[in-house]
Amino acid sequence: MAALLAVESSTKHFGGLLANREVSLAIEAGEIVGLIGPNGAGKTTLFNCISGSMHPESGRIVFDGTDITRARPDRICHLGVARTWQVVRAFGRMTALENVVCGALQRTNRIGEARARARELLEFTELNGKDDVPAATLTLADKKRLEIARALATRPKLLLLDEAMSGLTPMETAAAVRLVRRIHAELQVTICVVEHVMEVVMPLSHRVVVLDYGVKIADGTPQTVVRDEQVIRAYLGERRAAR
Amino acid sequence: MARIALAIGALVAIVYPILVQVQGATYYQTVGFLVLLNAMLGLGWNVIGGWAGQFDFGPQVFFAVGAYTAALLYVKLGVDAWLGLPVAAAVAATICAVLTYPLTRLRGHYFAIATVAIWMIAQPIGSTWEYIGAAQGLFIPTKTHGNVVTSALSLQFSGRTKALGYYYAALVLFAVTLALMAWVERSKLGFYFRAVRDDQEAAEGIGIDSRLYKVIARSITAAVFGAGGVLYAFWALSVFPEQVLELNWSTLPIMATVVGGIGRLWGPVLGAFILVPIAQIMSTTLGAGPLAGRGIDLIVYGLIIVVIAAFRPTGLLSLPWSRWLRLRRPANA
Repeated sequence: MAALLAVESSTKHFGGLLANREVSLAIEAGEIVGLIGPNGAGKTTLFNCISGSMHPESGRIVFDGTDITRARPDRICHLGVARTWQVVRAFGRMTALENVVCGALQRTNRIGEARARARELLEFTELNGKDDVPAATLTLADKKRLEIARALATRPKLLLLDEAMSGLTPMETAAAVRLVRRIHAELQVTICVVEHVMEVVMPLSHRVVVLDYGVKIADGTPQTVVRDEQVIRAYLGERRAAR
Repeated sequence: MARIALAIGALVAIVYPILVQVQGATYYQTVGFLVLLNAMLGLGWNVIGGWAGQFDFGPQVFFAVGAYTAALLYVKLGVDAWLGLPVAAAVAATICAVLTYPLTRLRGHYFAIATVAIWMIAQPIGSTWEYIGAAQGLFIPTKTHGNVVTSALSLQFSGRTKALGYYYAALVLFAVTLALMAWVERSKLGFYFRAVRDDQEAAEGIGIDSRLYKVIARSITAAVFGAGGVLYAFWALSVFPEQVLELNWSTLPIMATVVGGIGRLWGPVLGAFILVPIAQIMSTTLGAGPLAGRGIDLIVYGLIIVVIAAFRPTGLLSLPWSRWLRLRRPANA
């Protein structure tokens, strides 16, 4: 069976900086894939290339049988890829409900239907009761949940979560992990998470892909990846290597 | 509460000109006409400027396109104003879509500058193109009408009922615009415009073609300005470039929108209701006295804008009216 998402040797520069060098990656339907790497490893760049807000200079990205290498982000969303952002991008002057309605309108033109779907998703993401709160005034944890609800409203097949748990308290992080598991289990959405917090990624992911200086250095189960020499040296550092 | 206020407002808007007419004055109907025209234009500008959040300083181009289109249809083909009006609005929207699509690559200040540039290009075209009368413009010859009904049907009022007739024509167009904008605000378009305004990248990420929706927003603005231009042309009975391409056709509606409440349906209406009468009072009082000179009302405008921008940048409608109004309610609660 062909992978849901196939990135084939995607390369992206920013001036002299090589952000992604011939990165290849496949995500099968039903997986939770963790994408990790030190700061500046090119994780967000890869997300941007997949979601269409940037285009790779060479290589190919295929989603669900469609070449999306040069496609616009709105087209890619329509095909079934939704994402959240490292720095939250809620629609600040709209209410929480309106934010999610905007997402739901991707699949319907009827406001009533979109509202009903948005309410369901606010409940699913445990934001119920905050329908009429302006998004700008929500806490960081709630804004991140709101972004997830808005992304889910577009009925994605693949959800890209860019550091959905960074900057959260341990309790909020635990709740976010539960949410990601529920999205996977109850909504049958394939998920790719970019994350810094190893304690979160390792138990959550079925498979982990490691980037370092724009190059993929490992791809495997969490158990094999944490024992990989290269990964330990490049990413986890000497402290882990000494253990 | 809001329904009662709306009903009272509508009643006053319909009845007061008749009372004034009985007294034999036409001045207040003309002020009302200008309030409604600018409120209508403000409602149009609110779509691109308020909801879609793109600063468009050149909508007067489409005011001119509307005015010229309807005037040409009337002068060259004998098409009545009410038939010319939808055509003019459609022509304005179409030209706007074609001109705006390339501009949507630009953001923020650059978009704003480009809209001004289009206006600057439109001026020499208006004053040199022979077909549309070049600098002399077009004059709209009036037909003689047997009664008020035929006058109303061809948007040509004269004599004693002139001011009254154009006032009601403006009221009808304003009401139609208000109803359409209320619909736009609640539709998918309204949600998508505001999404693009609040965060373009995030909007694209949830499947919104931001360039398309900016073009749609500005074309709606252009259609409203085009319709406003038709009304103005048949009121002034002429169309010439300096008049319809005047900067005031954008600054006044924009100021009305900002003063009243940008991005709120009733914002431009409130703003026009405040600013236009002030301008009229200024020009009749200060314009006649020893301070005669056309700058005074503009200085007062400027001061009002500065004061509101300093104390209430989100506009007068954003003041806590509901709380204030509710303060009186505990008496009967």
